Formats: sequence, C-alpha cells, structure tokens
Amino acid sequence: MYAFEVVFDHLPLFLTGLRNTLLLLVLSAIFSFVLAVPLALVVTRRVPVATPIIETVSYVFRGTPLIVQVYLLYYGLAQFAFIRASVLWPWLREAWTCLLIAFTFGTCAYLIQILRGAIEAVPHGEVEAARAVGMTPFQTLRIVVLPNAFRRALPNFENELIFLLHATAIASLVTVIDLVGAGRNFNTIYYFTYEGFAIAGLLYLAIVGILRLSFALLEKRLLVHLRRAGI
Amino acid sequence: MQSVDKDSDGMGGPRNGAVQPIIAADSICKDFGPLAVLRGISLQAANHDVISIIGSSGSGKSTFLRCLNLLEMPTSGSLRICGEDIDLHQTPQGMVAGDRKQVRRIRSSLGMVFQGFNLWSHMNVLENVMAAPVHVQGKSKAEAREKAEHYLQRVGLYEKRDAYPAFMSGGQQQRAAIARALAMEPAAVLFDEPTSALDPELVGEVLKVIRGLAEEGRTMIVVTHEMAFARDVSSQVLFLHQGEVEESGPPAQLFREPRSERLKAFLTRAAV
Repeated sequence: MYAFEVVFDHLPLFLTGLRNTLLLLVLSAIFSFVLAVPLALVVTRRVPVATPIIETVSYVFRGTPLIVQVYLLYYGLAQFAFIRASVLWPWLREAWTCLLIAFTFGTCAYLIQILRGAIEAVPHGEVEAARAVGMTPFQTLRIVVLPNAFRRALPNFENELIFLLHATAIASLVTVIDLVGAGRNFNTIYYFTYEGFAIAGLLYLAIVGILRLSFALLEKRLLVHLRRAGI
Repeated sequence: MQSVDKDSDGMGGPRNGAVQPIIAADSICKDFGPLAVLRGISLQAANHDVISIIGSSGSGKSTFLRCLNLLEMPTSGSLRICGEDIDLHQTPQGMVAGDRKQVRRIRSSLGMVFQGFNLWSHMNVLENVMAAPVHVQGKSKAEAREKAEHYLQRVGLYEKRDAYPAFMSGGQQQRAAIARALAMEPAAVLFDEPTSALDPELVGEVLKVIRGLAEEGRTMIVVTHEMAFARDVSSQVLFLHQGEVEESGPPAQLFREPRSERLKAFLTRAAV
C-alpha cells in the first residue's frame, strides 16, 4: 500500500531538500543573530532617530506574512527598472537571495524584541557593579550584560529557531528545492502524496529533535546559575 | 598587626601629619532636577581611616558615597582620589568627566560594596572575584585566581567558590561582594549600607568581616544604619541631614555628646 521503498530510490532528492532547508535555517539564523544584537542594543539605549527607524522596520517585518515578503522580493522587485539596472540585480533576482533576506530580516525583527527584553531584564545593580570596578562600557556589555541576557533569552532563541525552520518551507514556493519541495516533486512524479510529505515531515521532526537536544545541553551548561533562583 | 592609633577615641583620626589623603572631596553638591540632594559635602579620608556616614534615609548619604567613585556625577564640587585631581568640568548640563580613563582608574582603586550585593548572577563566586583583576587590571588568570582564593578565604567563602549567587544566602553574597572589592587591592573601599538588605541573623557575619578589615587598617567609607558598628569601628563619623554635614567628629564625641538637636533626635530614634 505504502511505497516508502520508492522514497529510498529518490534519496538524493530528499537529501538535496534537507541540505537546502538546513542551509536556509543556519544562514538565516546566523545573519539575523549577528544583525539583531547591535540593533537590540540601539533599541535599549533609545537612540534618537535610529531606535524609531529600527522599531518601524521591525514592526513591518513582524506585521506582514513572511510569504508576502518573499513574493514582494522575488516577484515584485523585477517590476522596478532601476533595480533591474542596479549592480545588485544578479543577486537580487536569485530566489536564494530573496529568501535569505526575508528570513534574516523576519527573524531579526523577532530577535530584536527577544534580546531587548532580555537586556532590559539584566539587573541594573549588576551593570552598576561592572561600572564600579572600572569596566569600560564595552566590557560591561561583553562580560556582564550580554552573557546574562543571552542566557535569559535561550528558551526564546530555541522557539525562534523552530519557527524559522518551519518558515523555510516557503522556499519551495519560489523554485528552491527544500524538504517540502522534495516532497512535492516526489508527489508530482508518482502521486505518492503521503509518502513524500511524511518523509519531509519526519525530517523536520528530526531537525527539531536535534535543536531541542542541543538547547537542552546548552541550558544544562549555561543555566546552572538559575536552577534554584532566589533563596 | 598594624599600629593604627584610630582606636584612641579619635585622637589620631584623620590628618595624620601631612600624609596625602586617599579621598578628598570638596563641596560636593548634587541636584536631581529641582531637588538639591547634596548641598556641599566635604570629606577627607587618610590612609587607615574608617569614616562612617550616618543619617536618616533621604539625607543623601548613599548619593554622596556614589559621587566619590562617580557612579553619580556631582552637580558641582571637586574630587581628589589617591593624589589625582579628577578632571571634572562644568557644562550647561552639569559636570562631566573629562577623562574617562581616569574615571575608570579611580573606580578600580576604590572598591565598592553595594546594599544589594550586585554580584554578577551568571558567574560563580570565583569568577565574580576574578573578573575585575583579569579584565580591568590585566592580571593573568593564575594570579587573579590566587588572589581571589586568598580573599575568599579571608571572608570565609573559599568552600563556596564554585557556587552561584542565587544558591547563597544574603550574608554569603555580601561577603563574596566584599571579596570582589578587595581582589582589586583598592586604596579604599566604599560600603553602601552593606547590611541593610540582610536578614537580621545574617548581619553579624558581614559586620564581622568589615570590622576585621577595619582592624587591618583598611581605608573605608561606610554608609550605615548600624550605630554600634559606627561607634566601635570608625575613626570619624559624619552625620548628614538634608544633604549637609550636620555634625562630624570622632565617634566617642558624636555618640556621647551630640551637639545638634537633629543628631540627638536621630540617635534617640536609632536607640543607641
């Protein structure tokens, strides 16, 4: 009844899908994190002009469906002659570029909020103690504020990564063969709908499982100081 | 060990000869908006001085202490720390420090102990004590560790060196914070109501450590509500009232023969 052995004949298709899904996940996660940390710091400092701009852009990315952003980037940009004429066009017309931009900014917008909350939750006294021993503002960030905030935000990072993983399924709508794309191609060839998408689903589950495990290990290592908070 | 004649009822007090004071604050004023919290407070702390600052809450004693290491920027006044004139200049927005490096340097030469301990919660005790020597003073990890273990032993927390602050009692946390301040080998230590946040039964262990430091001859400025401590340990006591030094002098004189009515009333309320 089920044709899972056919799936095994098409292992390369699913491996390509897996690779692309992981690439999108890892690259977007890294880019968005690197971008979110300084932006979150700007937001917590309430820098005039910069903070409202970041908050507005962040609002737009959180306020619109990711799929709309991907469509606007991938199909929409081509409408503008000046963009087609720009030096960036060879990159911008690639689905990969559009996906990475949308995923990076979309995730970044949420990460800024997560980090902002975590940074603001660092007790003021700890910051003051850092100043009182003579740390520079940068040292205070690097040694006291960010390590504390990152630990605080760890569970939210995990959720955000899982959301991002599932969001990467949008890639299949703009020509990139990710896990969903592989399942769909498989279905197109054989009409084995169940098998193709079940394998895709299982692979997503496996990725989430690995994420969960990694975060459990991280939490065990990094959150010892909270295991019994307060006295 | 050291023969410091501060126990002779203030006879030796501050100004032992022409020695350079470690802290010299002159006419420190601080306004918070329209509110004048400090109205010209001066203080001189020579080596081995233990100066207690007492007064009711709102008298400005914590604010004054925080002005000494510039956690709070005074509105006006001048500061000389370890023989260095602090570069403060007046701007329309108030005073600003001209030399940030100098500010960091004087902060690291004045240890500070806070009312709320303020240990870095994601670091264990040893890491807390080692952080400033390593990152601020550029000591090697080995050297900082040795020093940290020495001071943890000194405050009786060597066995707790791997514990995180959240797992410790308030008294232990405050002793760890004292070790953190001492690890920088500061010229003076500022205590900002070090026992006010502690349960009554934990006050003793912290006071014992601070008393021990005083007996070692450490220079300390202590903002405190512990009148017995101020009376027994200080070489000089400052009584602040509404941002001014209402009365100051050796503790024997201040506590036995208070001159000002406000101090008399304060001491009665504090039930010494």
